[in-house]
Amino acid sequence: MNIDLSEALDTKYGRSGLSCEVGPDAVELGEEHVLTIPNVPRPDKFLSDSFKGQEAEVLKFAHGTTTLAFVFKHGIIAAVDSRASMGVYIGSGTVKKIIEINPFLLGTMAGGAADCSFWERDLGRQCRLFELRNKERISVAAASKLLVNSVSRFRGMGLSMGTMIMGWDKTGPALFYVDNDGTRLKGNLFSVGSGSTFAMGVLDIGYKYDLSVEEACELGRRSIYHATHRDGASGGIINIYHVGEDGWTKISSEDSAQKHYQYKAESTEQASAPMVTS
Amino acid sequence: MFLTRSEYDRGVNTFSPEGRLFQVEYAIEAIKEGSTAIGIRTSEGVVLAVEKRLTSPLLEPSSVEKIMIIDHHMGCANSGLSADARILIDHARVVTQHHTFTYNEPMTTDSCAQAVCDLALRFGEDGREEDAMSRPFGVALLIAGVDEKGPALYHTDPSGTYVRWEAKAIGAGSEGAQTALQDAYSKMMTLEEAETLALKTLKQVMEEKLNSTNVEIAAVTAKDRKFRIYSSEELNQCIERL
Repeated sequence: MNIDLSEALDTKYGRSGLSCEVGPDAVELGEEHVLTIPNVPRPDKFLSDSFKGQEAEVLKFAHGTTTLAFVFKHGIIAAVDSRASMGVYIGSGTVKKIIEINPFLLGTMAGGAADCSFWERDLGRQCRLFELRNKERISVAAASKLLVNSVSRFRGMGLSMGTMIMGWDKTGPALFYVDNDGTRLKGNLFSVGSGSTFAMGVLDIGYKYDLSVEEACELGRRSIYHATHRDGASGGIINIYHVGEDGWTKISSEDSAQKHYQYKAESTEQASAPMVTS
Repeated sequence: MFLTRSEYDRGVNTFSPEGRLFQVEYAIEAIKEGSTAIGIRTSEGVVLAVEKRLTSPLLEPSSVEKIMIIDHHMGCANSGLSADARILIDHARVVTQHHTFTYNEPMTTDSCAQAVCDLALRFGEDGREEDAMSRPFGVALLIAGVDEKGPALYHTDPSGTYVRWEAKAIGAGSEGAQTALQDAYSKMMTLEEAETLALKTLKQVMEEKLNSTNVEIAAVTAKDRKFRIYSSEELNQCIERL
């Protein structure tokens, strides 16, 4: 029997000599750069088949987050917590969930931390190549589309990513929600993660387009604080970023526990003050 | 020059009895048709200066790209077939970005020159490799960059050779320019002196009168590790110093 070793050793495309019925066995990540996928007849079913019947024990990825971002008069505010939970275990309390893609683009991290940071780093690479080839910055719409195209190629294969891509381009501030299902939505206000409902509740009450930068930062901070208070999978440090015309700036990084006592002291102060209304 | 070429210059993968690859040598000849480009390395950084051949007064000078950025800290000037240069430079951009993605650090100038030359050698006639080319590239590059080892200037040619130089000229006026550089170059030069020397040398070898539209100048400095193509004001300032 003759075995063609050249085919078997073609590692650049992740081949191992076995044929693949459905889908390519590697998907190119731009040029010169490939990501191998499981070398089985149905790579898209690999994850669910491998863990069939034991999802509860094995398939427990890092979940549990609160992230939010909203557009207002002076740009965009992004606010996030910093807890990485693995079930009931807190894997880390100091995760950077806002990913700095380039000086004008930010992405938030919810879902699988590895998936988010890998694909957003890859997005950074693609955006830089766009910039070099076209001599202008990429629009936020185009950048978010690059990301959704990247993850769509692995649809159904187990990626876990819920992210907001934001930045400032020729059209002004822009905010997009992108997830692993291939969803891409443009909007003015999003919140993602297990604590998102709590954050959204606070955010909706206080949100106005005409907020000042300080007011907007405080609204984001309070929204995340309330989520960390009620959602066990959210907590740690509250990070706030502001996106303006000249790119993003990091506003603050504060402990949510300290915020709890500060807000509590403020509310008791208010309660003990004499009532003005009749 | 090529006495026995008739038999041995047809294939890119056939050596002549003297051990030469004529198609590669012809590709190197193509560079001598190109406009002159000069690179000078100093301890403060690297200067690149090129002549832009404007074949018609109706030609838009800004669309002639002889110097291109590869990454923040690296750029290059080319001479020869500029269409081939585009392919090589895009390759350089992709590999530098891929390097940053994988290692979270800027690529060194040496690695980038090597990556460009790896592509330059991927020619052949069998066409087995999907992205192989049928002929050598007809272009030479002067790659200027700064990394942890300091400023560096590399010269690459169609044979896939890459060599580091203190000062190098390529293109039509390269012979005269290289001699001039050899006489005037000193290791102690400042970046400003290098700018002046590059322009002065270009002026000597150019057929047309040197002005701010038919030359282009760029530099990468050791201080901020940024590669920058000069604006027309900065270029005029350099020309006034001549």
